[in-house]
Amino acid sequence: MTSTNRNLRQEINEKLMDETLRGSLNRFAEAYPIARAKAYENVDDLDALRNSVRDMKIDTVERLEEIANQFEEQVTLRGGKVFRAKDGDALKQYLFDLCKQKGVKRIAKSKSMATEEIHLNHFLEEEGLHVKETDLGEWIISIAGHKPSHMVMPAIHLDRNQVAKYFSQELNKDIEPDIAYMVQEARTALREEFLLADMGITGANFGIAENGATGLVTNEGNARLVATLPPIQVVIIGYEKLIPTIKDAVPILRTLPRNATGQLMTSYMSMISGAAPALVKKDGQWVEQEKELHVILFDNGRLKAAKDDKLKQIYQCVRCASCLNVCPVYTLVGGHVYGHIYAGGIGAILTALLNSMDDFKQINEMCIGCRRCTEICPGKIDIPGLIEYLRAKSVKEDGLPFGVKAVFENVLANRKVFHSLLRLASIGQKPFTTGRVIRHLPLFFAGLAENRSLPAVADTPFRDRVKKVTKQVNKPKKRIAFFSGCNIDFIFPETGESVYKVLQDLNMEVVFPEDQSCCGKPVLGMGDHETAKKIAKQNIIAFEEARADYIMFACPTCAETWHVTYVELFKDDPEWSKRIEKLAHNVREFTSFVAGEYEKSGRLVKSQGGQKVTYHDSCHMKRGLNVHTEPRKLLESAPGYDFVEMKDCDKCCGMAGAFGVKYTELSMPILKKKVDNIRDSGAEVIAVACPACMMQIQGGLDKQAPNIKIKHVAEIIAEQIKE
Amino acid sequence: MKKVSNNWKQSFPANSFGTQFFEEFSTRAQNVAAKVYRVKTGAEAQSVIVDIIKSSEAKKVVATSEVISPSAGLHNTLKGMNVELYTEQGDIRTHADTSDVGIACVEFGIAETGSVCEDSFSIEQRLVTTLPPISIVVMHSGNVVPDIATAFEVISKVFNRGYISFITGPSRTSDIERVLTIGVHGPSQFVVIAIDEDTREV
Ligand code: SF4
Ligand code: SF4
Repeated sequence: MTSTNRNLRQEINEKLMDETLRGSLNRFAEAYPIARAKAYENVDDLDALRNSVRDMKIDTVERLEEIANQFEEQVTLRGGKVFRAKDGDALKQYLFDLCKQKGVKRIAKSKSMATEEIHLNHFLEEEGLHVKETDLGEWIISIAGHKPSHMVMPAIHLDRNQVAKYFSQELNKDIEPDIAYMVQEARTALREEFLLADMGITGANFGIAENGATGLVTNEGNARLVATLPPIQVVIIGYEKLIPTIKDAVPILRTLPRNATGQLMTSYMSMISGAAPALVKKDGQWVEQEKELHVILFDNGRLKAAKDDKLKQIYQCVRCASCLNVCPVYTLVGGHVYGHIYAGGIGAILTALLNSMDDFKQINEMCIGCRRCTEICPGKIDIPGLIEYLRAKSVKEDGLPFGVKAVFENVLANRKVFHSLLRLASIGQKPFTTGRVIRHLPLFFAGLAENRSLPAVADTPFRDRVKKVTKQVNKPKKRIAFFSGCNIDFIFPETGESVYKVLQDLNMEVVFPEDQSCCGKPVLGMGDHETAKKIAKQNIIAFEEARADYIMFACPTCAETWHVTYVELFKDDPEWSKRIEKLAHNVREFTSFVAGEYEKSGRLVKSQGGQKVTYHDSCHMKRGLNVHTEPRKLLESAPGYDFVEMKDCDKCCGMAGAFGVKYTELSMPILKKKVDNIRDSGAEVIAVACPACMMQIQGGLDKQAPNIKIKHVAEIIAEQIKE
Repeated sequence: MKKVSNNWKQSFPANSFGTQFFEEFSTRAQNVAAKVYRVKTGAEAQSVIVDIIKSSEAKKVVATSEVISPSAGLHNTLKGMNVELYTEQGDIRTHADTSDVGIACVEFGIAETGSVCEDSFSIEQRLVTTLPPISIVVMHSGNVVPDIATAFEVISKVFNRGYISFITGPSRTSDIERVLTIGVHGPSQFVVIAIDEDTREV
């Protein structure tokens, strides 16, 4: 089902206005991290545990064919039938034939995302079968005619009053909106579904090749009933759920419940190997017989993904949905905006692989690349990385819209044109405020500032100030080439000056390669790898010529682009890959570099008293470069400042490249939270180490808390240096 | 009764099971709303069972035969109380759904999570522990392993085919407004009775 021509903007706005949804997602986002942390209290080494999930899954996908064969063989040996369904149609046909053959009329189902994926219930009902979802949340949305909005809590978008209304309609009587009462009503209403069903359909959380067992992790107990009472059992399991041995279930069971719902273990975990006994009535007597067991191994794009070097990471997903719970965008709009069955970042990826690239294209920009999901994912999946990868893939296949492509090639890939336009912008300030192309340029071009001021382009860019701030350093310790990035060059040249001051104070010689341009991140973000390569090459040449010991960055995004993305970009190009690897080796991030130097010379002494300062962790800094203690150490030791932490210091500010401008309506509530947290910390100064965050937060403060100042850490350190 | 294994105990790793893990198991089980009793003898276990049946005013009970067989006393006591008790397979199937209490044995406890591991290969076992609103399970208090990894070490030795479940507290849902609600499709009360003396007939 492809949903073309959606009005995403309108859908987003509707969700933003839905107070029930906003309220429950918000409350959950607040409660979730605490519950999760508590659940992991008795786990010694969480990182090692996550590694064991990831490694086990990586090993499995490498041997997928072999493991699937073994699984099939073992199920068959124990009386089960295995059917490998290549897609939804094949699966539906098989099931329907089976029902016809066995005279099945009633089916009880327990939750399975794979069947949601292909709208199985709808199909079976159309064919005249009586099909009931028995998981409470699934049942609610099925009687409401909705799609799940969360993988674990499918009805999280509804409140008790709405649920009561659907209950009343379904049960034909007045149902009070009392939760405990409604649950009992559901229990009663669904009991006979289990008792009368001819066939039970379940999903599976894992499938064990060693003995053909399938595992089910649930709280309500419906899956146990579905797998116990009906004489025919059908298990639908995606290939990604296969694991080699019984013991391999351990890391899944130690993470999945804890991550999903903050439980040490769900109420029920069942493993079924082979056809279990069932009781069938014959001549008025209950007679025990073996169940008829059908295991459907479901492909639908999964096997293709297993062969792709990057995309095979989806096999590391245990479907805990915790990536949704921490995602700043999902927690604003909920799952329905994602259009298909799976929501959030992982949902966008699964949509591309299991549904269609077209649907992916509509939603992929919903990811702001903050990486909170990757930090929490039990399988350590690089969700934003995969989204970028898929985006690049789709651009490679379909190309960029003509206008965007033209701007990328003619403006961004041509440093001189790009920079003279920026200079022009400083005079005209708003030469490009309209038109759809502009939004995809580095942000400051757009000048869209509804609830937030956007900074002006500086009168004199940093490149024109370099001469004035460059000092002759006698016997320099090292030679450093500074990569400013567009933001520092054209918006925050003072930050560049501070960088120079601090480094020169450390007895470093600093140079500014004139031919440097944008790092290319905006282009990369749009998936245009060809133009990105052109830009990267210009930068590489410029910095080779500088012959420096280190390349210094005061912007984590630029640093990461050089350090990681450039290397990846040229990995199939022997010549350039050699050249970039040499340079990437010398990449240094400013705060961590200075903290290191200060540490060596004993300058990192804690000081107290003075203005209260707090620190915002940029996503790229903390989760991209893994730098978070160093800037704090610098702030703690800066005389005249008193360092305080704020709540959710590492939550995204909502800028995130072009997202902050394109989806202003989503970016603003995220920013507002950030500003609230800054204000609540009591800080007079908010320090950042990323110019993009600086731009966003400055804009928010300007409108909402003008008394609080924002400074790059470099400026705070530079203040301490006497001329 | 069909079993995944007839002697789980043989598979317990020498040094990592025993009553030393019982307290942690018990605390965690109670954290998720299970009731836990530890008693010395089978007879004491019976009186706990009788108390529960009395206080809940239960009228109908289903139990797997292994709970009853070593101590025929329970049968008579319940009869005396006018409580119907069913232990035969067909009767269990007919009456489990309308019974107030189900009584069955489980194999061992897991301290890390407060779960019990149930050998649920037999259909009676599953009917008894899934359908009635009060579920009582009986185990040996020395059969507790420290963590999930150890539990799976045991399982991997015996699990060739069949059905194994972990049960951790009563059935629960948070599907409406994330409000935790006990007893949706499964039992709303989950009681573990751990007996110090090994009463199980092997
Ligand atoms: S990177 Fe951030 S925005 Fe993207 S999916 Fe992950 S949590 Fe959501
Ligand atoms: S991607 Fe990771 S966090 Fe998200 S559902 Fe899968 S395992 Fe859970």
